[in-house]
Amino acid sequence: MRINHRMILSLGVAAIMSVAAIGSYADETCNSPYMSGLIKGQEDFVHVWTLGVPGLGDGSDKLVTIDANPASKTYGKVIHKISVGGRGEAHHMGFTDDRKYLWAGGLDDSKIYVFDVGTSPSHPKLVKTIGDLSAKTGYAGPHTYYALPGRMLIGNLSNVADKGGVTGMAVYNNKGDFVAKYDMPTSAIKQIKGDGYGYDIGVNPAKNALLTSSFTGWNNYMRDLGEVVKDPEAMKHFGSTMVMWNLKTMEPEQILAVPGAPLEIRWALPEGQNWAITAAALTSQLWLVKRDARGIWEAKDVAAIGDPAKIPLPVDISITADAKGLWVNTFMDGTTHYFDLTDPEHPRQTYAKHTGSQVNMVSQSWDGRRVYLTSSLLSKWDKTGKENEQFLRAFHWDGHELNLAFEVDFTKEQLGRPHHMKFTANPQRVASLAGVSVH
Amino acid sequence: MRRTGVAAGAVSAVLCLAAAGAASGTEDPGKAAAPRMEFVPPPPGSYKLQKIQPVSDAVLLDSTGYTVSLSALTQGKITLLTFFYTYCIDPLGCPFAHTTLANLRDRVAGDRALAGRVRFVSVSLDPTHDTPAAIASYGQEFTADSKFEWRFVTARRVPELLPMLDDFGQDVSVDLDQNGRATRTLHHMLKMFLIDTHGEVREIYTLAFLQPQVMFNDIKTLALETG
Repeated sequence: MRINHRMILSLGVAAIMSVAAIGSYADETCNSPYMSGLIKGQEDFVHVWTLGVPGLGDGSDKLVTIDANPASKTYGKVIHKISVGGRGEAHHMGFTDDRKYLWAGGLDDSKIYVFDVGTSPSHPKLVKTIGDLSAKTGYAGPHTYYALPGRMLIGNLSNVADKGGVTGMAVYNNKGDFVAKYDMPTSAIKQIKGDGYGYDIGVNPAKNALLTSSFTGWNNYMRDLGEVVKDPEAMKHFGSTMVMWNLKTMEPEQILAVPGAPLEIRWALPEGQNWAITAAALTSQLWLVKRDARGIWEAKDVAAIGDPAKIPLPVDISITADAKGLWVNTFMDGTTHYFDLTDPEHPRQTYAKHTGSQVNMVSQSWDGRRVYLTSSLLSKWDKTGKENEQFLRAFHWDGHELNLAFEVDFTKEQLGRPHHMKFTANPQRVASLAGVSVH
Repeated sequence: MRRTGVAAGAVSAVLCLAAAGAASGTEDPGKAAAPRMEFVPPPPGSYKLQKIQPVSDAVLLDSTGYTVSLSALTQGKITLLTFFYTYCIDPLGCPFAHTTLANLRDRVAGDRALAGRVRFVSVSLDPTHDTPAAIASYGQEFTADSKFEWRFVTARRVPELLPMLDDFGQDVSVDLDQNGRATRTLHHMLKMFLIDTHGEVREIYTLAFLQPQVMFNDIKTLALETG
């Protein structure tokens, strides 16, 4: 392996890999700590899971690949796209533990697409479609794809019976075969009742801790946002809990009251840290989940994001590699915020910038020098008219200011609504065992 | 442990470059370290291990040069299987895996309820150089206790090994030199597979999961399934 301006932590060089497996404190970004091959330097490609829009291009959900290497002649350009032949509300993605495959799902049709991004990262290939999630589990709306060794843990949003928010987690092996399901708790644990809702997944291996959050079901996320907020009954059906699970036994051990739909979960994984952070969308609060001296997990709101009275709707978050900083996107006011997390009990906003008429996902490079944003939240929740900007914007971050590096207009390019992003890099002077003879 | 100078140099080069690359970031993620365990593992039998996937059969060579079917090494006993190569020097790679297994062997051997019910299997990733004689030599220090079954196996040729690697999801890549020729530095994500007596993978341990107490409890949990 040769490592020049970029560095990929290559598979199985365990001294290095352990950085990925254990020391992967956080983002590059929001990947499972079990995943190998963290990109610590310059990413080559950004893959964007994109919702199809009727009448725009082929109208299909697609995986769009953008060249992100400034040294490349096609820097900032779309270099590849692969449509999946329909619209299923493309939303999130996740790498397998070996970073060779990218699983991407649809919140509406509950299909899961497996793309090979390891063979040729610049030209991903669709190699498998998993269509039995609902039949095997009764769940719907696969959201989070979290790599476990040899498996994918999938956090869901809904169910097929009433399309509400009661759901669970599914486990598939890396071949795409169903392994197990785990319902989100609906009964009480230590006087706190579970709502059964699901959303994100975060694991802290050293603590055997699996933390989940909660959003809402198909009935709400596939309905016009304006209608949802005007419907008092619909507004009752948002998650208000987080659950701490025993990862080994896959049993829920604690339910934490976190009102307002707690969404993305980021663990602080450096040794000695014992906390995770999330943002509650409806109440616009950062919540800290921390273990106290007795070993009990507690959740407490530690900071407001913007002006909660204006419902800025924090959506995605991205924690820095040292867990001392946090990017937060608020969708409604199109603002990207940076919080100093040096004292996680008292996060301080130190920077904010209007980055679009609507902004949703935020992903930063491992070194924190580049920050990528996309615009789309959900097909029925995005803004309309002139405010319906659909873009990926890449910024340089010098610690003081976000400076635009490039942007891709997904409407002009006839692509759709860009949502989740994942990075890949070209392998450096390695070959598969199948392709060489070892001398 | 047998090491080649070429491999040692290549790995050292990788490690040095890795360190340099890490320093270029604003934050280094920290030194590589053995897995941390900051919890009390659940007791054996208090949980169920998932049935992750069945093991497909393959033909291998044992350390005496005889062919052996993989199914003979993955059924009938609770099996911990891992991949290695004899000249791997990565301190948190194959040597760490085998040290972990050796400690686990001693713990298993001290539990009368597990007597004769557990085996370890180490499969070489490099059939070209890891001949039966090579793996026999390498395995000597781990197989001295004849009461405990620890098998070191290899394959006749790389093409015969590849389907097994694919089945286990064990990715392997090879460093190339400046002329595009393969070196003897192999990269593989360290994985151990816990397999039940029916040949079904029930747990997979990557480096972060190589926690001997948890692994021991998992073995006991499988043993309790069959009484």
